Amino acid sequence: MDIYSFILGNKETFKIIYAAIIVFTCLLIVLKTNKLFQLSSHSGIRYFRNAFLFYGIAFFVRYFLVFTDIFGSIITPLFEFFIIMGGFFLTYSLLSKRLNLKFYYSSLLNPIISIFYLFAIILVLFDIILKTSNFMFLSQIVLFVVSSSISYINYKEAGSKNKFLKFYFSAMILILLAWILNFFVFLLFGGERSILINVYILNLVFFLIFLYGVIKITKN
Amino acid sequence: MAKKRERLEVIRDILKSIRERRNIKPTRLLYASNLSPQMFKEYVDELLVKDFVTITTDKDEKKTFSLTKKGNEFLDQYKLIENFVQNFGL
Repeated sequence: MDIYSFILGNKETFKIIYAAIIVFTCLLIVLKTNKLFQLSSHSGIRYFRNAFLFYGIAFFVRYFLVFTDIFGSIITPLFEFFIIMGGFFLTYSLLSKRLNLKFYYSSLLNPIISIFYLFAIILVLFDIILKTSNFMFLSQIVLFVVSSSISYINYKEAGSKNKFLKFYFSAMILILLAWILNFFVFLLFGGERSILINVYILNLVFFLIFLYGVIKITKN
Repeated sequence: MAKKRERLEVIRDILKSIRERRNIKPTRLLYASNLSPQMFKEYVDELLVKDFVTITTDKDEKKTFSLTKKGNEFLDQYKLIENFVQNFGL
């Protein structure tokens, strides 16, 4: 029995383990970066923290709330909303230094974030109406093309000074590949599970790279 | 030519000036910060919003800046914050 068959044979167990690792990883990142934000009031750290907060909620909703009957058919739209917002927050955390925008009291409810909420809701509504997830996929591909480009510029500008920027850029490329692969798996192969396993692995690596960076840099 | 200071470095320099002189008048802080008056105002407004500094007015209506507990903690943990911000490109 090959590894794919073994995983597919125990897919429910693997799904729970996969989601638990991601939710736990996000929780650790949020706690560590929240401490740094409390010290610094730095906008970039604040939106970086929010990105992982929303990713954590998205995976919690998708893989754990599904066991309750409370949310029923709104699980997928909720998951999509939190994933899209996570992408917006992560991209915005990289852009905030360059845009040099005003500091707002709230990072969850301010004019700029309200525009992101509006976009996220519109994209989710399109997906609901057309019974697809393509708008989520495409929004994430666009956002991660932007984020990858910025992280590449950051890496090139810093040279060998800040070593984690190389990992950051690699993580962005991995997650971009994961979203592109995810999109094509659903578009061309109708969600073929054996290919989707690779997407899950790329996702896991993405979150673990960030956890590694956050723990390494904040350990003192 | 000297390298342009990063935003975080400017904030550190302003807070350090306040810490070194304890209570410092706005004009002296402006000179110490090495910023234009307009930029200085922007930074001071941000530091007030973030609760890093406070302004005290004495009986002669003279204003002085002093550091808050949060401002002191920022300076103490500056290296860690700077390291994080630079390594994540934030």
